[in-house]
Amino acid sequence: MEYVIETENLTKQYGNATVVNNINLHVPKGKIYGLLGRNGAGKTTAMKMMLQLVYPTEGAIQLFGTSHTENTRTIYSKIGSIIETPGFYNNLTGRENLQILAKLRGLLGKNSVQKALEVVGLDKEKSKVFADYSLGMKQRLGIAAAIMHEPELLILDEPINGLDPIGISEIRSFLSELSRTKGTTIFISSHVLNEIEQIADIIGVMHEGRLVEEVNMVELHKRKRRYIEFDLSDAKIAVKILEDYYQITDYSIQGNSIKVYDFNHNPGEINRAFVENGLLVTKINTDEENLEDYFSELIGGGGIA
Amino acid sequence: MLNLISCELSKLKRSKMVLISILGVMSIPCMMLVESIQTHFKHPDLVFTLADIYHDSLLYIMLLTNMMIYVAITAYLFSREYTENTLKTMLPIPISRIKLMLGKFCTLFLWITMLTLVTWIGILILSGLYYAVFGMESYNLRVAIGWLLKFLLGSILMFLTVSPFAYIAQKTRGFVTPVIASAVIVMGSAALSNQDLGALYPWTATFFLIEGKLKSTGYSIPLVIGIIAFVSLIGFWLTFNHFQKEDLK
Repeated sequence: MEYVIETENLTKQYGNATVVNNINLHVPKGKIYGLLGRNGAGKTTAMKMMLQLVYPTEGAIQLFGTSHTENTRTIYSKIGSIIETPGFYNNLTGRENLQILAKLRGLLGKNSVQKALEVVGLDKEKSKVFADYSLGMKQRLGIAAAIMHEPELLILDEPINGLDPIGISEIRSFLSELSRTKGTTIFISSHVLNEIEQIADIIGVMHEGRLVEEVNMVELHKRKRRYIEFDLSDAKIAVKILEDYYQITDYSIQGNSIKVYDFNHNPGEINRAFVENGLLVTKINTDEENLEDYFSELIGGGGIA
Repeated sequence: MLNLISCELSKLKRSKMVLISILGVMSIPCMMLVESIQTHFKHPDLVFTLADIYHDSLLYIMLLTNMMIYVAITAYLFSREYTENTLKTMLPIPISRIKLMLGKFCTLFLWITMLTLVTWIGILILSGLYYAVFGMESYNLRVAIGWLLKFLLGSILMFLTVSPFAYIAQKTRGFVTPVIASAVIVMGSAALSNQDLGALYPWTATFFLIEGKLKSTGYSIPLVIGIIAFVSLIGFWLTFNHFQKEDLK
């Protein structure tokens, strides 16, 4: 498989703190790779190292099969990026900001600025300076700057931050289409699991600087387990019944809710046993683990966000 | 490089700092006009020449007002990429970090030259007003151009001695520390401007060089030029080296 981004034992330390710890990422060409992790997991630092904003302490980064420190002009002209909230010059309009970037990229006169502004819906904002932009508009301008030179690789750190639901949906569709029609490789980080789940082909999970999982979505769907969930009056008694009557040990408890992953027993019979033992059952449903459950389990509790 | 300089200049569009710096350097011609009028009414027989006005203003330009303004614009140019978070947008383009710094120093040089020209023109125009009302000897373009060359040479030397402030602005990622540092430097300049030791203090040595005062201090020209060059090179080296190695957290 051809990888557009590949890291080998990539590590970044600030003093005694290891922010990124020996990560080996593999981003295949033409795919959307979603990087998930809680705040402070090391996602942004990893992306900054790829963009040469931060120097690695150890390890190597290969971009398009070449070391990221060689042929930088060629390599980085094929990359578009947003890192955190995009930064632009406050005294300039969005168009003027993009024109500066276009000039530095050698794109002037190619209509790329206008096209990029149209894509993100900022082409009508002619006189507003960046300082007066809303957070959503700033984010859109960042996306415009990232795509204006039609890059082969997009590195996007939390690109949907600050966008309204319609904006999120538009950007999601745009990224999916970009990947599908132009074969653009997209390396995107987010804490909105649902968004990543909808567009990513591959998912990587970072936790405390380490890459704890790298899995493609097809495989991930196979791993997501089905369960029967009971909401009842006393989970402790319910656990005793499950273990004593049915020898079920594969379950999890959250408050007065219990999830049973063992499908070898009839849920109706289990329910009857609960009721006969004096428990009040208020809800029974069958469902599949969502991405949040899966990753919560993976990083040892707590949500991703 | 021309592209980079042109982009740096584009970044200054609508920037209030440009207007503020122009108004700041115009304070010297205005001050000189007021002082000349006051002197005229106190000593009506005293006749000024255009050279007198340019000569008196040189001290304010090189040691006081313009020096502080040049440090302020240096701090603005070198810290704004941090305060406006633009480096993460600019550097992955990719732009070489060294070229980006070179572009900034070239822009700073152009800005300083422009402000020096504004000061020179301001003095010429306001002296013209004085000349029209009270009269002035040797008010002509030949004298003015002679002083323009001195002003421009002075601006080059001042550009060289503000390089350490670029490093301070970059290191502290802000405006405040370099401006405070410049106030300290200016105080030093004020204290040493009439003393021989001023020849060894880079920020007054530039003034002594342009004024031709070095001979009377007893220090040699190569020594003084060496001190100015040393401070300047240290400033440039620290700025480039720090930016080249810096992690943009």
